[in-house]
Amino acid sequence: MFELSTDVGNLKELREGDFSAYDALYLGDFSCPDYPNNFSSHAELLEPGLELVKSRGQKAYLRLYAVPGNADLGWVEDLIDTALELPFDALEVHNLGLLRMLRDKGCRLPIHLGVFGNLYTHETAKVLKEYGVTRVYPNPELSLDEVRYIADNAAVEVLVPVHGKIPLVISETCFILEHSEEGGECGDGSCSYQCTQEHWLKRGRSDGSRADWSLKDTGRMTLSGKDLCMVEHAATLAGMGLKHFYVHNKGEARGYASQVGRIYRDALKRAFAGEAAGDAAEPLATLAGLAREGLCNGYYFEGAGQRYFGRT
Amino acid sequence: MVMMMAPGGTLEMAQAVLDEGADAVYVGVVGWSRRGAQDELDDDEIHRTIDYAAARGKEVRIVVNTLPSSTELPMFVERVERYAGWGAQGFMISDIGAMRLVKERLPHVNIHSSVGCGITNYEDVRFLREVGATYVVLPYRMSVDEIREIKEAGDVGIEVFLFKTPSGGKICPGKCNMSSYFSFRRWLDAQGKDHFFGSASRGGDCLRVCQTDWNFNVDDVDFRAPMTIKTNPALWLEELPDYLAAGVDCLKVPGRDRSTALVRDIVRVYRRAVDAILGADRPDLGVFASELETLRGRWMSERGKRDNRLLRQAIDESRRTVATTL
Repeated sequence: MFELSTDVGNLKELREGDFSAYDALYLGDFSCPDYPNNFSSHAELLEPGLELVKSRGQKAYLRLYAVPGNADLGWVEDLIDTALELPFDALEVHNLGLLRMLRDKGCRLPIHLGVFGNLYTHETAKVLKEYGVTRVYPNPELSLDEVRYIADNAAVEVLVPVHGKIPLVISETCFILEHSEEGGECGDGSCSYQCTQEHWLKRGRSDGSRADWSLKDTGRMTLSGKDLCMVEHAATLAGMGLKHFYVHNKGEARGYASQVGRIYRDALKRAFAGEAAGDAAEPLATLAGLAREGLCNGYYFEGAGQRYFGRT
Repeated sequence: MVMMMAPGGTLEMAQAVLDEGADAVYVGVVGWSRRGAQDELDDDEIHRTIDYAAARGKEVRIVVNTLPSSTELPMFVERVERYAGWGAQGFMISDIGAMRLVKERLPHVNIHSSVGCGITNYEDVRFLREVGATYVVLPYRMSVDEIREIKEAGDVGIEVFLFKTPSGGKICPGKCNMSSYFSFRRWLDAQGKDHFFGSASRGGDCLRVCQTDWNFNVDDVDFRAPMTIKTNPALWLEELPDYLAAGVDCLKVPGRDRSTALVRDIVRVYRRAVDAILGADRPDLGVFASELETLRGRWMSERGKRDNRLLRQAIDESRRTVATTL
C-alpha cells in the first residue's frame, strides 16, 4: 500500500530505538564519516545491523557517504564491496561518482538517489535509471506537483519526506568543530563528538525576542530550523499516487522517530484506506511539541521552505 | 593553450572583456542562469554579443545553469538550439537530464558542467563526461593536487574560477538551499517560464542569508560572537602556474554581478599574468601583487554592497510571508 521509512545512524541507536512504525530503515549517516560507529563508514557493522533490521521484518537500505573527496574513494569502495556481498534491499547514493562506481561493479541491488543528488527533473531521473537508480529523493525545493510529475514521467519511485527537518546544505568539514572554543581541524582525529549536543544557528532580533530565522547544525550538515510536517495532507499525498514516505530523524533526540512514526502510520493508513482523517489537533500538538522551532511544509506548496499551510 | 573566459553580466561588460583580451565571454540568459535579471542578457543582447565576438575571432558561452522544472525542459532545449544557431560555441549546464538532451541534439557544441553540479571527486568528473560534459567547472575549493588527480582520471577539459575559498566548509554552490528556505516565491511569466525568487539553483538570486550575523549556540547558550556561516571567495594568482601545470584548460574570471570597470580591470591584469606564465619558465608574478591587492579590495567592496542589498530583500520577503505558526 505504502512504505514509511526513516534513518538510523549506528548499531547502538538501532538496538535502543523503537522503529516499529516503519517498513524500512536507511542505515547510516551520509553526512559525516566520523559520526560514532556510523554504518556508512564502518563495514564491520553492516552485517549485524542488517541482521537486526531483517529480524524485525523491515527492509534495510544502506546510505553511502554523500560528498566523498578523491581521498575518500578508497574506503568508500571497500565499504561498497562489503555491502554488495550482503542482502541489503538497496543502496542510497548522493554522489554521482559513486553511482558510476556501482555501475562499473555490476551492482545488482536497487539504488536510491539521496537528497543531495540534486534531482530536479524527470529527464535527470531517466539518465540515472540507466545507472541502476530505482528511487529518487527529489531536491527539497520541488513542489508536490513537480514531484508527482517526475514520478509519472520517469516511471521511477519517488521518496517523499513527510516529516522532520529539511537538509539544506552539506559540508566537507565539521562546522561545529571548526567553530568550537577548543578549535580543531575536521578529519585530523581530534573530533570530540560535540554534535551530540544540539547546535543552533539563529539570527536574532535586536530586542532579544525569538529569533526570526533559525537553522539546526549537525556539524557536516545544516538543517531547517522548523520541522517539515505533512500530517494534515496525508490524503493529498495518497490521492497523488505517491507511495514512499520518509521521516527525517538525523539530529533528533531518542524517541522522536518513534512518536512521529506512529502518528504518520496512522494518518497514512487512514488516507490510503479512503477513511476520513481523524482530528488533527492532537497529533499536531504532539508534533509541534517535538519541533522546537515550529512546523513548516517545506516547498511543497510553492512557498518559502519555512512556511506552514494548514489544511483549513 | 589555456582559454581565459570572462563574464558578460551586461552587453557593455561582454564587449569590454573581449576588448581587454579575454578569449571567450560567458553570458547568462534572463531567468536561466543563477543570477537576477539585472546580470543576465536578453536574446537581442545575446545575439549582439555572439556577433561581436565572432567579428574578433572569439567565442561565447551561454550560461543556462538553473535546475529547471521538468515542464520547462522543452523551452530550455528550444533556447539552446536558437543560441547555437546564432553561433554560440558552448553552454554551461547543471541539470544532468538537460545536459543529455543538449548532447543528443547538438553533439558539436561544448557542454560545461556548471559549478552547480557540486563535483567533489574524479569519479564525479567521469560521470559527467559520460553524460555529455566536454568541460567540468570545478568548485572554488579544490587544491592543485586534487585538480591534477581529476585531470589524470578523465579526458575532459578542466575549468577553474580565478577566485577561491579555503578547502572544506559548506558546499556552495551546488549543495545549498538556505536562501530559498527563508525567502522563496514562484511565478510564471508571459512565455510560461518559471521564475523562482530566492533560489539561485532555479534562476533567482541567492539572497546571501549565510552572510548575515548568526548566533551559534549550544543548549541555548551562545558560545561565539555573531558570525557569518560561509567564507567568501577571494581573487587569487599565486598558484596559477601550478594550476596550469596541473592541466587546467580554462580559467574563468568571476564577476557577472560586479561593475564593468572592475571586471575589465581584472581581465586586464589576468591577461598579462597568464601571458607572462605562458611565456616564461619562471615568471615573476610579484609584479602583479600591488594591482591584485587593489582589485581584491574593490571586489570586496562591491560584493559587500551586493550582499547587503540581497540580504535586505531576503529579510523583507521573509517578513512579508511570515509563517503561520502553530
